[in-house]
Amino acid sequence: MMWIALIPLLPALAFAAMLPMSRRIRTAARWLPLAAMSGSLALSVAAFLQVWPGGGEEPVWGVSTVLATLGGAPVAVSMRLDPVTAVMLLVVTIVGVCVQVYSLGYMHREERQGWYFAVLALFSAAMLLLVLAGDFLLLYMSWEVMGLCSYLLIGFWHEQDAPRRASIKAFLTTRVGDVGFAIGLAAMWSYAHSFDFAVVLHGTTWAVGAATLVSLGLLAGAMGKSAQVPLHVWLPDAMAGPTPASALIHAATMVAAGVYLVARALPLFHAAAPWVLVFVMFVGASTAVLGGILAMVQYDIKKVLAYSTISQLGYMFIALGAGGEVAALFHLTTHAFFKSLLFLGAGVIIHATHTQDIREMGGLRKVMPWTTGTFLFGALALSGVFPFSGFWSKDDILMTLWTQGTWYSLATLVVALLVAAMTAFYMTRVCVRVFGGPVCSLARESHLEMVAPMAVLAGITAVIGFSSPAFAAFLGEVKGWPDLTMAVVGSLAATAGIGLGVWVYAFAGVDTQALRLRFPRVAVVLDRGFYFDLTYNRGLVEAFVWLADRLSAFDARVVDGMVNAAGRGWSAVSSSSWTFDARVVDGAVNGLAALVRRAGERVRTLQAGRVQSYQRLGYAGLLAGLGLAVLAPYIGVLAAAGCALAGLVVIGAVIVRGA
Amino acid sequence: MTVGPVAFMALAALLFCIGLFGALTKKSAVLVLMSLELMTNAVNLNLVAISRFVTPASMAGQFAASFVIVVAAAEIGLGLALVLALYKLRRTVELDRIDRLRG
Repeated sequence: MMWIALIPLLPALAFAAMLPMSRRIRTAARWLPLAAMSGSLALSVAAFLQVWPGGGEEPVWGVSTVLATLGGAPVAVSMRLDPVTAVMLLVVTIVGVCVQVYSLGYMHREERQGWYFAVLALFSAAMLLLVLAGDFLLLYMSWEVMGLCSYLLIGFWHEQDAPRRASIKAFLTTRVGDVGFAIGLAAMWSYAHSFDFAVVLHGTTWAVGAATLVSLGLLAGAMGKSAQVPLHVWLPDAMAGPTPASALIHAATMVAAGVYLVARALPLFHAAAPWVLVFVMFVGASTAVLGGILAMVQYDIKKVLAYSTISQLGYMFIALGAGGEVAALFHLTTHAFFKSLLFLGAGVIIHATHTQDIREMGGLRKVMPWTTGTFLFGALALSGVFPFSGFWSKDDILMTLWTQGTWYSLATLVVALLVAAMTAFYMTRVCVRVFGGPVCSLARESHLEMVAPMAVLAGITAVIGFSSPAFAAFLGEVKGWPDLTMAVVGSLAATAGIGLGVWVYAFAGVDTQALRLRFPRVAVVLDRGFYFDLTYNRGLVEAFVWLADRLSAFDARVVDGMVNAAGRGWSAVSSSSWTFDARVVDGAVNGLAALVRRAGERVRTLQAGRVQSYQRLGYAGLLAGLGLAVLAPYIGVLAAAGCALAGLVVIGAVIVRGA
Repeated sequence: MTVGPVAFMALAALLFCIGLFGALTKKSAVLVLMSLELMTNAVNLNLVAISRFVTPASMAGQFAASFVIVVAAAEIGLGLALVLALYKLRRTVELDRIDRLRG
């Protein structure tokens, strides 16, 4: 069964192979990640068949290796294959392959497309490893690798300002949540001395306080990754990246990793204080509402889908808060397919019309029938229309809330229905604007490699909903077909939204511009996205910049000042030392040298190189010595004087002659 | 009139002084060599005279003088050979101009 480890390994190898390539060769190798992902898909299907018929959480396969020993306890990373993993593997590989095929068409004009495909492969590897992880440590590792890939892909066009800023914003915002994740992991280790799912979730008796701390930490990480309020701000900006990357990462898989994490750790949340799950539900509800409201007022088609993703992720958190991990995972699955489908459709539309503004689009149903058809499938699924997949998963979540029956779950049920209506409304708005009306441009239907993946996803979207009971059974939950009443209520909400949308946009029942003018304050608040970005900029970013400026000034004035003062002091000391050297030490040496030189110059004149002058000196010395020797005993003045006179005569004659 | 030893010694001293003067002052190396001959001959004169007047029985002074003559002849031969070699090398025998050992 070790072949299961190949599932994340294949795309990782593709990335490793592409990493050292030159740009040209990498472009030629753009199909390599697709081949790897296809292999992973085949293996995932095989893995799914191994798990079939599922039921329960027992892993059918596991492997573990000890990384280190920490405080006497082994730190192990492990992989495991259980029903949840099998489902997630299928979701990730199917969407991944579709996006890879689509990207071949979408990115084929890009110069750096090789890098795009390589990072996409790395991302797929990380996501597959994340769902295969059997412990929180490995999950966290692949979680961070995904964050890196998200950063790289959002900033793919890093020569432009907006993608660069968006990539940094996404990275930093998710990092805020990841700090909580890391704290939660540390608390988990200090309490349970293990990261393993089985040990932490089922083999440990948790104290309420510890479980609360750990689950809040994990929740913080999940909120960052899954763009929950108030950490949702990065996801709309992340749309600056290539659209297929948005489809895979920011709609189908990575942003769903937070939901997956909470779903995995749900036993821990149950062990925590009761208000933690209520808090999860509250976060989900507020995110769903906020995303829904903002999706209704966006004009950028990708931003609509981004806010819609935020809203739907909120939906999943609602389900998690109600303890419905199966409902959440089912919605995750259906959402992965129909939202990636919508994003791929949006990419085709953007390519064809060269704009992202839905006000500048129109009439595309006449020129792009395939795109229109598949996009409508996705829109209907997202709106929760029977029999498309969204209907079933949304119904599951509504039923989970209903069966819980507490006052807050019922209140959330009302909110969820409202969000369902809003969802249907804004999708209708997009569809009417984009596909209805007169033809706006010379748009043409796209290539096969871009339409075919959309058709596949549309097919899945159309039928996967019927697997609802089987899906629940596979994950070990007994559930029948949807309750008729709830189905009707949910459908009514969707119908109301669609009807309102058709009335407002297709029949121009309401002049939206007039509404904007009539309620300017509301319009500004909505345009600004409830001032989240502004608040963060004012409160955090500017504060940090201010602090950084102050610290920089402190550095420049005080620290640099100290260093410079020390430098100047030493400079003064050394210059006086130099003066001492130059004057005193060198002076002594030079003075001695000059003395010797002058003496030498005097003396050297004696050595004129003339034999006769030496002879003269020699005889003069001989005479002087003889004189002394002879005259010393006789003090007679006359004799001495006579000899001296004779000597003087000789010397004088010699000198006169010599000169 | 008899000639005493002092007269010989005075003549020898005169010869020696003339030789010394020549050796110290002449420019030409040949003249310097000739001056040296004068000085050795002054010594020879002294040797012969002192031998004659102090020890007439012995001929030691005369022998010594003849040795000096032989050695002086060899010396002058060597000296002149050196002067010739010097002349070949420097094209001059003026001692004033042979000053390569000047410091």
